[in-house]
Amino acid sequence: MRKSFISQNPSVLWFLLALSLFTLGVVMLSEVTGSNVISTSFVKTLGKTLCLCLVAIAMDVVWGYCGILSLGHFAFFGIGGYAIGMWLMYARTEAIVMDSLQAQVIPPTPQEISDAIGNQIFGVVGSSEFPLIWAFADGLFLQLLMVVLVPGVLALVFGWLAFRSRVTGVYLSILTQAMTLALSLYLFQNDSGLRGNNGLSGLQNIPGFEDTPQATISIVFFLASAVALGAGYVFFAWVVSGKMGSVIKGVRDNEARVRFLGYHVESYKLFVFTITAIISGIAGALYYPQAGIINPGEIAPIASIYLAVWVAIGGRGRLYGAVIGAAFVSLLSSWFTGGGAPDVNLGIYTIQWTDWWLVLLGVSFVAVTLFFPKGIGGLFDYLVRKPS
Amino acid sequence: MSMLLEVSGVSVTFDGFRAINNLSINFAEAELRAIIGPNGAGKTTFMDIVTGKTKPDEGKVIWGEKNISLLGLSESQIAMEGIGRKFQKPTVFEDQTVRQNLAMALKNPRGPFAVLLHKKTERNAARIDAIADEIGLTESLTRRAGELSHGQKQWLEIGMLLAQEPRLLLVDEPAAGMTVEEREKTTDILRKAAQTRAVVVVEHDMEFVRRLDCKVTVLHEGAVLAEGSLDHVTSNQTVVDVYLGRGHA
Repeated sequence: MRKSFISQNPSVLWFLLALSLFTLGVVMLSEVTGSNVISTSFVKTLGKTLCLCLVAIAMDVVWGYCGILSLGHFAFFGIGGYAIGMWLMYARTEAIVMDSLQAQVIPPTPQEISDAIGNQIFGVVGSSEFPLIWAFADGLFLQLLMVVLVPGVLALVFGWLAFRSRVTGVYLSILTQAMTLALSLYLFQNDSGLRGNNGLSGLQNIPGFEDTPQATISIVFFLASAVALGAGYVFFAWVVSGKMGSVIKGVRDNEARVRFLGYHVESYKLFVFTITAIISGIAGALYYPQAGIINPGEIAPIASIYLAVWVAIGGRGRLYGAVIGAAFVSLLSSWFTGGGAPDVNLGIYTIQWTDWWLVLLGVSFVAVTLFFPKGIGGLFDYLVRKPS
Repeated sequence: MSMLLEVSGVSVTFDGFRAINNLSINFAEAELRAIIGPNGAGKTTFMDIVTGKTKPDEGKVIWGEKNISLLGLSESQIAMEGIGRKFQKPTVFEDQTVRQNLAMALKNPRGPFAVLLHKKTERNAARIDAIADEIGLTESLTRRAGELSHGQKQWLEIGMLLAQEPRLLLVDEPAAGMTVEEREKTTDILRKAAQTRAVVVVEHDMEFVRRLDCKVTVLHEGAVLAEGSLDHVTSNQTVVDVYLGRGHA
């Protein structure tokens, strides 16, 4: 069985090989080996990019394979980030508070400790009470469970309601946009319990590893992201191959026909929607410790649209296409918006890429949709001629 | 004789238009039946009702020995009960191979987790080969369904229906757009299928119906107008007036 899976999906081996070589190269050139070719901040950028690739393949499975154009998957990504961020912030604040209380003559009561931590975390929004959603934030294991559970349950409930009512096509896309918008607006409120527009910060400091340099931490997270991407790729390749792949591609191409074959289409959509939401949450939980901060702006509706743009440019319906699209566009985006691209002086007008990058991205998106519907990944079809 | 499917007193109205008007029609096990009628007679709506796509305003649809009402079931549940449907336009999954198309249709557990953990077995492979042989697509098993000719797609779809192992097969205009040889082959496939199950063919083409050589039901304005052998119904003056007279004048 395993042999036939690999032989049916040669791209999996090539992908894992490329990913391993890339990972090895980055580690060798990073500051941990002393070669210092790649800075710690760029290692973080690359690690974050790997997480974006992971959420992009989840998007590709739900859209490219199952035909559900979800414009809300970045919400699940953000929820994963918030879930891990809560523990990171709690544990680190706890350590600081304990340190400062140590000096007192009378040992502090648990209530005093809790108030002091609450004051540190929620002071910015004028509160010191721990909201109910922080109930598990003091334990890493439980909070890791939340990384999986919260996006999973949200996707399950949302998907069940939407698919059961047979909401499809553009209406479903609008509904998912509404979901991510509502979540983002809710989190912007100060009394949402997640520090409003301040978001959660200082996430790059890992509790218990205060003395470990960021150069090492960045490499650990980079490796973890690479492993997650590799595992996610193999998992999704397995899901979309074989009979499951047949059925979900059938749902994409002709939902009614699949239904008359006796398949309960809604269960399949719900399965794909939920499983991709969970993987998106995991990707987010790896991303935000590398970014260092998460705030409600991260899950604004536009983020999920970008996700769809990456997959479209990379080539949907092929997992490596999603990876290429996410990596290519997001790295290019940070180059253009980060001032990496030189301004173009046209005499009367100077093109500043920080402003014009979005125009370029928009034009590329339209061009790809019109002229290269298979995306960048489609170029591989010219390289690999399948024996017919 | 006990009936496989009993439709009684069914009516459907779309925006004031009565598509089906107090229709009653029965099908026995292992029966080949042709349903004919002019455009708008309610042939497709009748199929929609039986397969659960359209819910009737009134009437009963009773299925099998246990007399289950199909009206409370969803499309996929009805399909699992043993009713297969072929659409007018060939609808196969063009992106996938003939083998994948047939494998998807094979009668097996249909839940997402059963499908996810599905393993290829000798038995399934043998069933696919047998069906491919029956519909004459053995050589095309590894081809993409999109590459097939129109007639081959129609056969593939009939093959997918057979793979579901239904007890009742609803076939909508199988001969549309086929050449004469293709029609002959289609007739053979359907007649063979009808030896072990009920096959209901909705058809416009009288020549094709004559070749099927079976009991014919004439629908008109959503109700049964006449029933019997083709010669019997074509000698009926009302039938000639509403259908044959107009259609073949």
